[in-house]
Amino acid sequence: MSQNIAEIMRLLQFTDSTFPVGTFSFSNGLETAGFENIVHDKKTLHDFVKSQALQAAFTDGIAALAAHRAYLAGNYDAIVEADRTLILCKMNDEARQMLQRMGKKLSELSVRLSDSGIARHWLEDIKAGNTPGTYPVAQGIVFAAAGISEEDLFCSHQYGVVNMVLSAALRCIRVSHYDTQEILYEMSSQVKSLYERVKVLRVDEMHAFFPELDILASLHEKGNMRMFMN
Amino acid sequence: MAFDYQLRETTSNSHVPEVDFSHCSEMAPYLDEPIAMYVGAPGKHGYLRLGFEMDPRGKSILRDLDRRAPLIVQQALYFDKEMPEMPCVYILSSGGPNVEGDRYQQDITLRKDSYAFISTGAATKLAEMERNYSGMVQNITLEENTYLEYMPEPIYPCKHTRYISDTDITIDQTSTLFYSEIYMAGRKYYNEGELYEYDILSVCSHAKRPDGTPLFREKFIIDPKNINPRQLGIMGDFDVFANVIVITPKEHADAIYAATDAFINREEKLAAGITHLPNNAGLLFKVIGMEPGPVKKIVREFLSKVRRQVKGKPLPEEFPWR
Repeated sequence: MSQNIAEIMRLLQFTDSTFPVGTFSFSNGLETAGFENIVHDKKTLHDFVKSQALQAAFTDGIAALAAHRAYLAGNYDAIVEADRTLILCKMNDEARQMLQRMGKKLSELSVRLSDSGIARHWLEDIKAGNTPGTYPVAQGIVFAAAGISEEDLFCSHQYGVVNMVLSAALRCIRVSHYDTQEILYEMSSQVKSLYERVKVLRVDEMHAFFPELDILASLHEKGNMRMFMN
Repeated sequence: MAFDYQLRETTSNSHVPEVDFSHCSEMAPYLDEPIAMYVGAPGKHGYLRLGFEMDPRGKSILRDLDRRAPLIVQQALYFDKEMPEMPCVYILSSGGPNVEGDRYQQDITLRKDSYAFISTGAATKLAEMERNYSGMVQNITLEENTYLEYMPEPIYPCKHTRYISDTDITIDQTSTLFYSEIYMAGRKYYNEGELYEYDILSVCSHAKRPDGTPLFREKFIIDPKNINPRQLGIMGDFDVFANVIVITPKEHADAIYAATDAFINREEKLAAGITHLPNNAGLLFKVIGMEPGPVKKIVREFLSKVRRQVKGKPLPEEFPWR
């Protein structure tokens, strides 16, 4: 076994959908996509999830890896830079709220789970309004503090995005558990190549081009549907 | 006194800044020198400096103009019948399309209290490319209490086009910038159609306050060989994409947001969405459609909302030949 058992257990703990950071409250636009009948079956759900995973990889993924590396280098300023850059690049209002709410929850949890000075400093800065406190950056800190590698962090990040949408799909799209698990299984095979592309990018190279997702997010922001917070 | 406030052209000896995208890794596959004219050769290194200001009579004028081929601006015209006091400028290119190895820079400044409208004379074609790429840097500075409408005609990439732009905005918190871009998927009616056959479009716009406080940073890279733009969530079946940034004080942003609908119109194959930019900087409005005309119409309607809110006047009807 290449990793020690405690690291694997913690990787599973942080990636579990019941990990209390509020994942269940968000659908990443799926609620609107379902209502508009844009996502209505396994095929369209799969395509939607692919776009969400890509969008997250080239923004949140870059920030998470940067925070992880900065933590290991003891460079707190670089953690803050990744956090601030990510929020500047998040064009959607509800997406910013999601990242900050989940980020604060994870940061609060992290000071209970580890004795990391950086994690404590980070939470103080979030509470003082000195940094936005986004979820991917909090993930970078927590995973590095737990001794989990950046490759595993990226897997957990991608799993979290995909599983968030698929879990929401079971509540608002006519698909089965079999469908969502098949999508999840298939998506896993693409994460390695995605990681290879993302790991070489700097925080100032975050980018996203997903106009349909942006418009769905706007419809949700402007509309009355509130089973999910985005 | 009147003579002092005429157009001041400085096209002779002033320095033309270097346009450098070496820090952008997405362009790394496209660094071959063109076989014809080298990168940055005269005629391929365009430069434009536009400076607007209020003259002593209280008229907003194009005060400063510096230009290098192939970019051309002749003079400001006052053709907006709803705002006849506003200088309107068309940016032209004597070289036709942007070709491989072209580097352009446009520096636009609005000094205190001035206002202006800027567009292009026609659609911008990004030519078919085999080596290198075409790049443009823009620096837009809006001083206190200024207002700029920047709405160029659509941009058409061709087969194997490689294009990158970087727009750096510095804006006072009392000012308003309307900045739009309309990107076509390609030459839709050329031969059998040439949609998403370009190599890469990389577009970055970022803004800050005069004291350096960052407001937002939006970068999109469309790289059809690696990520299919037809994928659900990206462009799907749509062929035209408009991106509109409105940086404006919060009270204006809130009113414009409330007056603007997000929608999906399946019959007309059009959709639009609006959201707030980070840091209460303003709004981001996106439109997708099938043809440039209907998309441009929605962008103009949105501009009219912005103008009504900020200047109390609507946009005039579009000229029939535009």
